[in-house]
Amino acid sequence: MLDEALHSPRGKDGRAPDPLRVGGWMPMRQYGENDEVDFAIVGTGAGGGTLACKLAEAGFSVVGFDAGAWWRPLEEFASDETHQEKLFWTDERICDGDNPLKLGSNNSGKAIGGSTVHFAMVSLRFRPEWLKSRSLLGYGADWPLDWREMWRYYTEVEQALKIAGPVNYPWGPPRPRYPYRAHELNAAALVLAKGCEAMGIPWSETPLATVSAPRGRSPPCVYRGFCVSGCSTNAKQSALITWIPRAVKAGAEIRDLAMAGRIETNDAGYVTGVHYYREGQWRFQRARNVVVAGYAIETPRLLLSSANSQFPDGLANSSGLVGKNLMAQTNQAAWGVMEDEIRWYKGPPSLAVTEHWNYTDTGKDFFGGYAYMSQGPLPRAWVSSLAGNRGLWGDALLRAMEKYNHQAGLKIVGEVLPQERNRVALADEKDRYGLPIARVTYSLCDNDKALVKHALNFMSQSLSVVGARDIWTESDDTCHLNGTARMGDDPRTSVVNADCRSWDIPNLWVCDGSVFPTVGGVNPSLTIQAIACRTADRIRAMAAQGSL
Amino acid sequence: MPERYPGYDVLAKRATPSWNEPTRRVIDARLSIPNEPRFFTMQEWETLTAICDRIVPQPKDRAPVPIAALVDRKMTNDERDGYRQASMPKMQQAWQRGLAALDAAARASHGAPFHAIAAVKQDVLLKAMQNGELSGPEWNGMPAHTFFSERLAHDILAAYYSHSSSWNEIGFGGPASPRGYVRMNFNRRDSWEAVEAKPGHEAAARKANERVG
Amino acid sequence: MAANNAGDLSTAATRQLVGGAVGAIALGLGVALLRRGFTPQTGRETLAGARTHARQKRSPLRVDEPPQVKAARRLNRAAGLLGTSTLLDSAVEHYRGSFQNKAMYTPLIVSALMLAVSAHGTRDKRPIAHGVRDATYLAAALTGIAGTGFHIYNIAKRPGGFSWQNLFYGSPLGAPGAVALSGLLGYYSERLRDNESDKIPKVFGLPAGRALAALSGVGLLATAGEAGLLHFRGAYHNPFMFAPVTVPPLAGALLGETALSRPRRPRRLTRWWLRLTALLGFAGAGFHAYGVQRNMGGWRNWSQNVLNGPPIPAPPSFTGLALAGLAALGLLEEHPDA
Ligand SMILES: Cc1cc2nc3c(=O)[nH]c(=O)nc-3n(C[C@H](O)[C@H](O)[C@H](O)COP(=O)(O)OP(=O)(O)OC[C@H]3O[C@@H](n4cnc5c(N)ncnc54)[C@H](O)[C@@H]3O)c2cc1C
Ligand code: SF4
Repeated sequence: MLDEALHSPRGKDGRAPDPLRVGGWMPMRQYGENDEVDFAIVGTGAGGGTLACKLAEAGFSVVGFDAGAWWRPLEEFASDETHQEKLFWTDERICDGDNPLKLGSNNSGKAIGGSTVHFAMVSLRFRPEWLKSRSLLGYGADWPLDWREMWRYYTEVEQALKIAGPVNYPWGPPRPRYPYRAHELNAAALVLAKGCEAMGIPWSETPLATVSAPRGRSPPCVYRGFCVSGCSTNAKQSALITWIPRAVKAGAEIRDLAMAGRIETNDAGYVTGVHYYREGQWRFQRARNVVVAGYAIETPRLLLSSANSQFPDGLANSSGLVGKNLMAQTNQAAWGVMEDEIRWYKGPPSLAVTEHWNYTDTGKDFFGGYAYMSQGPLPRAWVSSLAGNRGLWGDALLRAMEKYNHQAGLKIVGEVLPQERNRVALADEKDRYGLPIARVTYSLCDNDKALVKHALNFMSQSLSVVGARDIWTESDDTCHLNGTARMGDDPRTSVVNADCRSWDIPNLWVCDGSVFPTVGGVNPSLTIQAIACRTADRIRAMAAQGSL
Repeated sequence: MPERYPGYDVLAKRATPSWNEPTRRVIDARLSIPNEPRFFTMQEWETLTAICDRIVPQPKDRAPVPIAALVDRKMTNDERDGYRQASMPKMQQAWQRGLAALDAAARASHGAPFHAIAAVKQDVLLKAMQNGELSGPEWNGMPAHTFFSERLAHDILAAYYSHSSSWNEIGFGGPASPRGYVRMNFNRRDSWEAVEAKPGHEAAARKANERVG
Repeated sequence: MAANNAGDLSTAATRQLVGGAVGAIALGLGVALLRRGFTPQTGRETLAGARTHARQKRSPLRVDEPPQVKAARRLNRAAGLLGTSTLLDSAVEHYRGSFQNKAMYTPLIVSALMLAVSAHGTRDKRPIAHGVRDATYLAAALTGIAGTGFHIYNIAKRPGGFSWQNLFYGSPLGAPGAVALSGLLGYYSERLRDNESDKIPKVFGLPAGRALAALSGVGLLATAGEAGLLHFRGAYHNPFMFAPVTVPPLAGALLGETALSRPRRPRRLTRWWLRLTALLGFAGAGFHAYGVQRNMGGWRNWSQNVLNGPPIPAPPSFTGLALAGLAALGLLEEHPDA
């Protein structure tokens, strides 16, 4: 039901769905499989979607592939947590390690637009020092990027997505005004604000990728609160409704329900195109360049499973680092019951934020930082927290659930350190395409645990000073995935260079969350998109110089 | 437990702008599934229904949510989560194995299948499973506590809280598109949201809830 | 299927055109209303003809109406219009605020009363103040002042205090001011009636025409300030949103100039600019009605969009203030020294 998009591809025959109109179509350019296109891009999310748009606008021929469906939110998204699982990557993965990850709905999407279709829209910039955390702060690894340059690309993305943010942002170097004004705070956010004021630290409205005033065919956010189940309002500025339509308009072809299974190389050691599965058969698209943008699990999986006799350890893997240094940001929370009615199901879940502990280095017994935000889980997500962490069931659970409308909570996005033992590898088990599935190994290190402890203490206090009762902490949750194909200055310690180009194969690129050497304490998608914009500019410049 | 939101019914909003057509289709389908197994065998089904009754004891004064059937459909359609711990078999197998193992544990300690023993005894067994105290060849290496948290409780609770009756219980606004919400401050509700009964004012709340829409 | 009514329009440009068209229709309606408003008795006087007030009687049946009474009646009308805007606006806003506090009914009651006495005043040609009207206007002015106090207090106690967030979404600071202003205009009209017809009309010892010009000028500036704040909240997503922050402030400035400068030639520009401002007030309501349609679910989702969309009753307050400015010009034309 409502899942036609999952069964037959829509981006074909010279047209593609227009996600902003009921039953809408837009014309789409099409390339033959034997046409050697300039860029074949695997994945159309924050990284791939943005890059496809920017490269097409720069005049390159581009074909984007995504294993997911091409949705029209207005007519195909129900207000229902369960039904909307159709947006998630639910192909099997195996998780182990001391802290086996929870994937699926928790952190990876499968759709045209990738995980941004169901992300929570929080759009924060990195703290500048993080790009040089090894030299300046003494941990992690340095990025081969300069923050001032990133600042410009952040601005480009914020403008492109019409981010709704505060007039003055309390942390970091000055940034241009957000294009749209911040949203009205809900009670859950006011609990954070009051707590911060009582604890004497600054707070702010969260810059969000959902519009607070009309924009083109996007009406303003209606505060329905189903954001992480997909936005049927089209207020959310996901890649699906921003970069992708722009890309198609600029001449890119996007193929939905197209699962890339292997990247082909030639004797000269260059990649020649992508094998992909669509409409019941394996196909091959020739390309001068291939970009992998499948997010931090699928990207290394594809690189590893494309191994051949010439590259027995997988593509771009001479450093041995493909799949390693996976960083799943910590996502721990403090929850409490308020006397007041909160009704946190209203509005985007994270309307208020504090980055105090990202920008303060004193008073910490750990490296790195964290932001924390107000929360608004819907019933299914909430019961999974309650039961999962506190082991409640039976009457005890029902009694706890009854307090739903009085519940408030604060949740971090916490920095974790890159560790080589945290990794994505190939399992023996095969998926329905016959491809080896990913085995994801994850363990927190002592530093990660110290950070979590600090955060849980601070947030619990900040809840209790505003009168919350029955406070408990959730210590077993992680969110965004990054790392696994890190960028760097040195081919021995990184997979790609600053331009997201692989060291080993000059026409193979990686452009998504995988390239992060460190994660910082903010949600990653704005940074992923900024890097994609930068990469496109660099590719254009290199093409102009003839060094592509 | 007195009801916190007496008289509130999310379904009363079905024809209002809070529900769009896709939502009506999805919820209608969910509310009309027959309470019978498609995937599980009869024996597994009896065990499963008994477990559901313990994990979510439902009030007697309303039609019960067919939790077991919702879990069963998840198996029929093989709707997976997208990951599993390395110690766990695939979803369908995990359930089959876990149900058989629990039943075996009931027979071993009480000489009767799980669904036939008293509720308190069922609770003791479930608690033992949650604490990882059950083991044996029937488990075939699957850790009981992981099965409990990652499959049993996880799937049963997800099924229950996907049903509108549970939303009524907790005063959740339910579907909300195209109409979302307006009043977001403390203690504010839109006229299409549930009214919470303050102690002693249940009748007034019930009346107000009848107007929600 | 999900109703995305705005979605059927093909480009942003057509959408703005449609916005323009809705605005234009409202403008037309406004013109019609204003014309009627200007000619309650004879039905002949045209909008442009408002300038001819100084001329002698147009109907042989009519006794000559002392100019300050004429001005007073115009002021009653202006107060009434502003009162209508504040009545509807506070009704919507306080309904949105769930009438959390009983005092939130006050501006509704007071504005409604003000509407009634203004209608009465508009028809009343006697050159004497009226006790009930007087009291009502005074009450409105006081309510407005008290309301401003309440709203300031409300904002101050929210987390963040006088932050943009609270200025945008907290109790609007300017709204009670509009109630006060309309009360003041009405009160002023009563004082005007108290003047002897052959003297230079004075109110509180100030020359009435100039003082009134100043008052309405300040009112226009303040209201434009509020519109500016709220349109900033809307990120000026539509170019028409600049209209209320350009046209009325200029009208306010022209009125200020009128109040301060030596009496001289007829102020044609000021008059026309005030008329433009008056029409803009109506056009604004039209734009806002279209804005409601552009929100998710459009008018079908009125129970949300009338509250969260652009406030339809707000823009006509410009009309009320512009009318007051026109009344001031009228007075000055009768008595260049007033
Ligand atoms: C619930 C939730 C909330 C989030 N909230 C936020 C937030 O508030 N702020 C924020 O910044 N981030 C948030 N994120 C994270 C953010 O969505 C991701 O970090 C970001 O989208 C990652 O971008 P990406 O390009 O690396 O991958 P994605 O956006 O996930 O895109 C990858 C795409 O590649 C496709 N793909 C993968 N492998 C293949 C293949 N072999 N063949 C074809 N296609 C393939 C996938 O189908 C997918 O569509 C959230 C994530 C989740 C799940
Ligand atoms: S709250 Fe806003 S962004 Fe989230 S789903 Fe609703 S309309 Fe979309």
